[in-house]
Amino acid sequence: MALNSNEINGIDTMGKDTILKIEDLSIAFGGLKAVDSLSFDIKEKEIFGLIGPNGAGKTTVFNCITQFYKPDRGTVIFRNNKNEVENLVGKKPHEIIKKGLVRTFQNVELIKELSVVDNVLVGCHIEFEASIISQILKLPKARKEEAKYREKAEEVLKHMGLYNIKDHLVAGQPYGVLKRIELARTLMCEPKLIILDEPAAGLNDTETIALIEMVREIKDKFNCSILLVEHDMRFVTDLCDRICAISFGKLLAIGTPQEIQANEQVQAAYLGKGDE
Amino acid sequence: MEKRQKQPIAKMKKGNPIRNYILFGIVLLLLPILVEIGIVQYSHITIFASILIYAIVSLGLNLLVGYSGLVSLGTAGFMGLGTYLAAYFTADLKLPFEISLIISVAIPMIIGVITGLISLRIEGYYLAIATLAISEILRKVFVELDFVTNGFSGKSANYPKLLGFFQLDRNLTYVLVVIFLVLIMIITHNFVNSYTGRALSTMRGSEAAAQAMGINIYRYRLLAFAVAVGFAALGGVLYMHFIKYTYPNTWTLAFSLNILAVIIIGGVRSIPGTIVGSFIVFGVPDLILKKLPVIGQIDGMAYIFNGVLIIVIILFYPMGLVHLWSDVKRKLMTKKRKGE
Amino acid sequence: MSILIQILLNSLETGGIYALAALGIILIFRTSNTTNYAQGTISMFNAFVATFILINTGLPAWLVAIFGAISAFVVGVLVDRIVISKAIKVNPVAKQIITLGLIMIFLGAAPMIFGTDPLQFPRFVYGSHKIAEATISYNAIVNIIVGIVIMLVLFYLLQKSKWGLSVRATASNDIVARMMGIPTPLITMGSWAIAAALGTLSALMLAPTTSVNLTMMDGVQLLALLSCVLGGFQTFYGPVIAAYIIGMASNLISFYISSIWSDSILYLLILAVILFKPNGLFGKKIVKKV
Repeated sequence: MALNSNEINGIDTMGKDTILKIEDLSIAFGGLKAVDSLSFDIKEKEIFGLIGPNGAGKTTVFNCITQFYKPDRGTVIFRNNKNEVENLVGKKPHEIIKKGLVRTFQNVELIKELSVVDNVLVGCHIEFEASIISQILKLPKARKEEAKYREKAEEVLKHMGLYNIKDHLVAGQPYGVLKRIELARTLMCEPKLIILDEPAAGLNDTETIALIEMVREIKDKFNCSILLVEHDMRFVTDLCDRICAISFGKLLAIGTPQEIQANEQVQAAYLGKGDE
Repeated sequence: MEKRQKQPIAKMKKGNPIRNYILFGIVLLLLPILVEIGIVQYSHITIFASILIYAIVSLGLNLLVGYSGLVSLGTAGFMGLGTYLAAYFTADLKLPFEISLIISVAIPMIIGVITGLISLRIEGYYLAIATLAISEILRKVFVELDFVTNGFSGKSANYPKLLGFFQLDRNLTYVLVVIFLVLIMIITHNFVNSYTGRALSTMRGSEAAAQAMGINIYRYRLLAFAVAVGFAALGGVLYMHFIKYTYPNTWTLAFSLNILAVIIIGGVRSIPGTIVGSFIVFGVPDLILKKLPVIGQIDGMAYIFNGVLIIVIILFYPMGLVHLWSDVKRKLMTKKRKGE
Repeated sequence: MSILIQILLNSLETGGIYALAALGIILIFRTSNTTNYAQGTISMFNAFVATFILINTGLPAWLVAIFGAISAFVVGVLVDRIVISKAIKVNPVAKQIITLGLIMIFLGAAPMIFGTDPLQFPRFVYGSHKIAEATISYNAIVNIIVGIVIMLVLFYLLQKSKWGLSVRATASNDIVARMMGIPTPLITMGSWAIAAALGTLSALMLAPTTSVNLTMMDGVQLLALLSCVLGGFQTFYGPVIAAYIIGMASNLISFYISSIWSDSILYLLILAVILFKPNGLFGKKIVKKV
């Protein structure tokens, strides 16, 4: 499993059923290695979990995949929505969604002054084509386009059980609802891979169980893979097909939930923390 | 009995804003008639036209400040450039008004885009500094290139001649200003409600979310700034053809700050708020403050008035005075209800 | 040769004026997290205060300058207490706009109190000396030395004193600094006070050549901001060094190219530099957390 760190040409070695392949990913902040030679891959239609103790570098891995951070070393090979294989490293953060990769954030990043449906509509920003002239004069093209995607957004909101609050402002909604709105936003651009940063954080037990169902449904309905970071071990073991455990930016183990739970290194890393 | 809403509703269905803007325009058109009848002073048309022209400029800056969270301190420079170009093209080169209008808006926009290209790559506050520098350079140009600008003597132009033969007088130029204002209000309304407007709001609320959703922050910031410069230049052209005179010392930082005061005082991200703000900032000093005994005579009163208002509003009423009426109404309603 | 010496000395003098103003701006930026656009206007206002004292008492210029600095210090404290400290929760853009509102207040207040006519402020010392045909006024020497001494003292205090440590801690993370028991509101207030005093000294150094008037600091304000841009907003020394570079460039351009357009050319040059060095000559890129 351990790959030769010199082997950077991952494009050729990527399997047909692999959607994302991370190789030798490394990034340091002021000498501190946040991610250290990390490699793993995600298969098509897989729900893949990334776990690790606090400060293990999980979110940093996400930020390196989505190019919010520029990794010092390594490659992020992605099979995009045109079924082409390419390295994401070096792309701009705003280019990533066009490849079919979309994410949520640890501290929900929604726009308070916009309505729920408008927030979700931002999710398909890249689909809009009307020119600026067409928009300011409300020409038929701009109107039709807006109506089309608004309908789509309402569809997604219905699916997520948010339709009845679509015209409400995001400000003042409960945390669980915010998490769902953010999830709804990722579904607007028909992604191939959705990255969820701590989707269950701050949810109560019932909400967490509902979320597990929802993520499974999303995977089937939208035919995509899901990569998620989570603290809640039970959530991850219930939901994920495979799990990658990291500690201090380094890989500990990859495997099925059962394998990970049985792994001594993982247990050691979590020791004293309980299973939250 | 209306029930209290638990959740705030984003879109208040309060008539069609575009219809309201047109109605507002029609009301404004009554002013020349009132002057003819003798109810309103002749000079008040100039004050009103200025307020409306400044409102156009402020709408542009409101897009920039309100929707992209950027500040430009170059409003005066770009508006001033609009006035000089309009005067040069129509009075010196004898170009038709329409063509002059297009070029006089395009040139400042090009300069603006170049300024934006450089400064917007870095932190937001670089734009303010860069535009301040560009504005100072432009003012230097107004003073020093005297073979075109007449230096400190200032430059004159005439009321516009439409389509090459239809010469407007003062009242009709006022009508033209009103038409432009209503058009700009409609355009601004459509703009902020388009996907581009949504992208700008997103960018302002969360840069990270915007980037993750494929919004190119640099491009949209540049767009918002270009629109702000365009509106400023358009305001400059209209100013030139209504006031018929431009002079370097009009276009100082203090003027840019007044435009900023308009949007803060009136209401950030609000079209009616911008109009209200323009009346407060440019109308109150001329129509009210100067008429007051003693303090009306003191130089600098208007500045202090606007400066204090800016700070007080940011600290205590950040949505702007445009919401004052509905807030007071709501307060009274709840009081009434409690009293019952 | 004598021309070069002349330019060098002029550069040190103008550079020092920009550097004092820039140091004020960067102190406030680092502790209050806002660009203070009112730095120049507050300095102008206090230059009027100093000149007003001078005209009405006939005290020597250097003593009046100290009074001016004290009045600036008080104004800085008042501005912080009345306005800035109330704006802790306000977003950065609105905070910048608050400082723009301050410009309007001081711009309106100055003529109200001191009248609209420009006032004259004398040099600190008169007389000049010739070195190899370059004329050096004693006043310029005083300005250069006073500027450098003040900055050296401030930098020494920033590095070595308890106050300096508190300022640096507040600058790097004000929340953590507060948790560590550093009185960050006091540090911020001090920055506004010191910045105003620094700006006022630079205004009074400039005053003999420009007269004391409403727009006297406009150019200095912009060049001080551009010094921060050129030097980078991340360090205290960057803007100060950049200010001297700008002072030098300004004098060179005035002499060799055009004195009318020197400022304009300088602005464009600085913008061109940040095209290639976006974070300034001494700045470093900051990774934003998401």
